[in-house]
Amino acid sequence: MLNRVLLGAATLAWAPMVASAQSAGDQNLQIHGFATQAFVYSNNNNYLGMDTSSGSTAWTEAAINVNDQVTSKLRAGVQLHYTRLGIFGGDGISVDWALGDYKINRWVGIRAGKVKMRWGLYNDTQDYDPGYLWSILPETIYGVDYRATDLSQLGVELYGRIPLAAGLGKLSYSGYYGDYFVATNDGIMESFKEQGINFSNTPWGKTPGFDLRWDTPVKGLTVGGSLMAYDAKGNLVNGTYVQPLAYWPAYYAKYDYKRLFLSGQYTKLIQYQTVAISGSIPSTSGIDNPAWFAMAGYRMSDRFQVGAYYTRLWEAPLPNSPTPEDYFHEWVASSRYDINSNFYAKIEGHYIDGNGIGYYGFDNPNGLKPRTGVLAAKLGFTF
Amino acid sequence: MKKTLFIFLVSVAASVLAAHAQAQVVIIANSSIRDTTVPKADIRDVFTGASSNLKSGSHAVPVLLKSGSAHVEFLVLFIGRSDAFFQTNWKSLVFSGQASMPRTVDSEKAVVEYVETTPGAIGYILKTTPHDGVKTLSVQ
Repeated sequence: MLNRVLLGAATLAWAPMVASAQSAGDQNLQIHGFATQAFVYSNNNNYLGMDTSSGSTAWTEAAINVNDQVTSKLRAGVQLHYTRLGIFGGDGISVDWALGDYKINRWVGIRAGKVKMRWGLYNDTQDYDPGYLWSILPETIYGVDYRATDLSQLGVELYGRIPLAAGLGKLSYSGYYGDYFVATNDGIMESFKEQGINFSNTPWGKTPGFDLRWDTPVKGLTVGGSLMAYDAKGNLVNGTYVQPLAYWPAYYAKYDYKRLFLSGQYTKLIQYQTVAISGSIPSTSGIDNPAWFAMAGYRMSDRFQVGAYYTRLWEAPLPNSPTPEDYFHEWVASSRYDINSNFYAKIEGHYIDGNGIGYYGFDNPNGLKPRTGVLAAKLGFTF
Repeated sequence: MKKTLFIFLVSVAASVLAAHAQAQVVIIANSSIRDTTVPKADIRDVFTGASSNLKSGSHAVPVLLKSGSAHVEFLVLFIGRSDAFFQTNWKSLVFSGQASMPRTVDSEKAVVEYVETTPGAIGYILKTTPHDGVKTLSVQ
């Protein structure tokens, strides 16, 4: 709690410095940040590692970044991020990204360091809450309790934007390769623990991937595809863990024109893992999870937005008589009001059918009910 | 019927005149920019962070106005979105490590000064604002 208060105070304290930094003559140094505080209530199961059935304020996020445009072609920057989501995130502050960015020519740039991974519509921006109408992005694909592992990689990214022949739009690309580490204090690790898989070190692996998106000649329409691949290995307290290269393709489209916003994405995660526990025969298990969402938003005025989305995920192949653990279907209605250019408020209702993701045994000790309603409200500040 | 047609024609004429009357924003650039004519889509790309080069290959450094009629008209004519969307788009790039925020200044005079003295700089002002020392780009 003390850390949260200190971080909030530090964020607010930076604001006047930003104003002076941005108005100071020829300085190219910039500082930006944000902080959000949420209240989440659910009528049945506890959701996302929080005690939501009692109403929870245990979701706080903040970030601060520094950018320096060293030359016209070279930029350097770092962003620190704090997430506290129920038992996840902890009190530590993580390095979200820290990179050098060199523009080789008008079509190619290279980033190196800890670099955000461009995957699907929102992976690289999903932890920037002020950028969204939504309080909670589709949990089926952008699980807020799982995201810490997939945000960045330690390596390089080649990126650029290429104009196509006249009238055919433009193509943006990103290809990356690097190391990643499984976040030790989010939902992925908690899920391992609840399966009896306890690591003695931080599991890590390699993650190659790419994203290709086409800004079509239709104004506001973008279509694209991504692939994130990753393997993992780690030591267990009583054995070893090996995960061969997993594949997570995404196909998406968005239409963003004037006041209307529409988007949709389909993904399919295919992943296998082998757990070898001393004295036992190694066991291999797999995940085959298709998921998709469709969302729509409308800007009623410069300050007020409304929207809704529907999303679903299921275990493939789905049994003839599936249980709620085999799927997750969710309807969401949301609104956001920008109080001024720095402060905003959001309120959002969720109706969840199934409990394939987002729930944990430690805070649902009496089992899960098949359906849950969730209300999420947020207050945020950004500069 | 004649009356309806007359009202329709007057409305169309008024709309056309209003559009011309509003088109008071010009794009200015530092003399290092090689282009003289720029597609509107390139202006949009540079000012939304999608690209940092113009058609000629010239590196472009955008400078923004904080507010005012030139800023509002620029957003309407070149970006087609509200200031809230414009700012959110830039901040999403900044917070994902893809770009730094363009310099933002308080007055058109400051835009002209910055563009005049900064290689690659490109900005927008009202046509009536004095802008000796910078080049004016023709937008297609």
